[in-house]
Amino acid sequence: MLEADVEVDRRDFPVRARLAVAAGERLALFGPSGAGKTTLLEAIAGLIAPRRARITLGDRVLSSTERPATAVPPWQRRIGLLRQDPGLFPHLSVRGNLRYAGAPPEAEVRQIAVALGIDGLLDAMPARLSGGQAHRVALGRLLLARCDALLLDEPYTGLDASLRTTLTELVIGLVAQRGVPAILVAHELDQAQAFADRLAVLDRGAVLQEGAPGEVVLRPASQRVAELVGYGAFLPADVPGATTGVHPDRVLLGRHPDLGMVLAGVVTACTPSGARWQVRLATVGGQVTGRLAEPATAGQRLVITAIAPPVFGADGRAVSAEPLGDGAVA
Amino acid sequence: MATHGLRAANGYLAVVGALLIWLALLGPVLTLLGHLSWHAITSTLSAPGALDPLVISAESGTMTLAVLLLLGTPLAWALARGVLPWPRLWEAGVLASLLLPPLVIGLLLAFMVGPYTFVGGLLAHLHLSATNTMLALVIAQVYESAPYYVLGAQAAFAGVDYRLEEQASLLGDRPARVLRRVTVPLAAPGLAMALAVAWARAMGAFGAVVIVAYYPTGLPLQIWTSLQATGLTSALPYALVLLLVALPLPLAAYTWSARARSRRRG
Repeated sequence: MLEADVEVDRRDFPVRARLAVAAGERLALFGPSGAGKTTLLEAIAGLIAPRRARITLGDRVLSSTERPATAVPPWQRRIGLLRQDPGLFPHLSVRGNLRYAGAPPEAEVRQIAVALGIDGLLDAMPARLSGGQAHRVALGRLLLARCDALLLDEPYTGLDASLRTTLTELVIGLVAQRGVPAILVAHELDQAQAFADRLAVLDRGAVLQEGAPGEVVLRPASQRVAELVGYGAFLPADVPGATTGVHPDRVLLGRHPDLGMVLAGVVTACTPSGARWQVRLATVGGQVTGRLAEPATAGQRLVITAIAPPVFGADGRAVSAEPLGDGAVA
Repeated sequence: MATHGLRAANGYLAVVGALLIWLALLGPVLTLLGHLSWHAITSTLSAPGALDPLVISAESGTMTLAVLLLLGTPLAWALARGVLPWPRLWEAGVLASLLLPPLVIGLLLAFMVGPYTFVGGLLAHLHLSATNTMLALVIAQVYESAPYYVLGAQAAFAGVDYRLEEQASLLGDRPARVLRRVTVPLAAPGLAMALAVAWARAMGAFGAVVIVAYYPTGLPLQIWTSLQATGLTSALPYALVLLLVALPLPLAAYTWSARARSRRRG
């Protein structure tokens, strides 16, 4: 179990968060760039000094600003950190990198290398590796270092989608096998969801909501969380002062009052978006965007249904997750 | 096609320009080789005590390098990692001895470490003197070569990604081990080049040396006194010796660091 209750001072805003990750559990910290996600990881790894902290890993206290004050240095924490840059030592071969911590026996190095598909590269220098290979070596190095917790700071951002999926699955398998707590930081929701058992939304240094990866999107606790997880339109709700959030992926073509809020409007734009079409609709309540299976033409009148849209009160907090019936119909 | 023609023309111009500056820079060395006679070399260097300046220069140069390594390396590392308060002030201190004319440094050193100064008094207590001694020669050489080493070493350390040091630390290495296993090996090619340049500067140090350390006579001063006493031709053999002593280390450092870099490329 990794437990962290951390407060770090930054120039823009303080980062305050309390996290608990069980052995073998995967937590994703999701939030926009600059929200303080990396700061949190660095505080847990011991790379920056928090203003106030209590961090424990298993039965070891890693940081405590309460008396007796403790600050275990990074080299004694046994915490592995993977960043976007794999951080291989350029003057050492792949084998040298894998054996960096504690000089594990050759048989073990070979076994991990085979498992990661890098056994043919043991004598290569890091400069010769592709991005995917370098990340496999970095992962292998952490595994051979026998870390008690794994921190992943957007490690696979910038790699192509299939490679990212492969590497993410590899990490998930290894976390389960080793039974270590793992925290992934991501600013893209699908990456966070693909990795995690549990998702925490971080914004301006504070955890706004924590829950199952699907639940946070379906039932955002506040309008700010809704914005962060992709809700693109906030329309006036039936209740005065309240707003309804519409997520572009939670929209159906046609009138389905039993499923959610029915909206009618005029198409103002339609652009392809992956295998779907992103349709912008002018409704009485405001502009709504939806990703639909069929294209529409500008000027066309369209009726859509926002499936179970969340409603937020005047204070921005969610009041009800599932308002039904006709909403702002043009 | 027009672009292609322009590029070709620019290419030729660049080659011609590079050749001119290369010839101009190497000119003195080529001239030296052209004007040396075997007879002059043997007669000058076979005289009794003729090789003493070489020994003096090699000794003082080695001591200078040791001082730079010992004192300059930590400063360069601290400057590169930004751990010093008011970094600009520290850098200004390093630059001062680079920007001051060597002759001026010599004059000021005479006023700073001369026999009737505070530092001179302290040295006298230890039965040392920084006027016309090996110590004075080393001090003058340190002042003339230190900025080349410190600035070069600073760049070498700055080129090491601090995230690699963090990674080594997270993999279980204490700071001293990180330094030994990651920082120094990665900075080594740059450090070697900086040290080699400093060696060449120390070997050739003259301006500050001529004022505080006229004795013991190293190679540059020997060239100067030979020139004064018997003219250009008798100074040339010493010039050759100076080049032969000053250049191998930089050349070796250059080849070694180029090989280290290419090894890293795999």
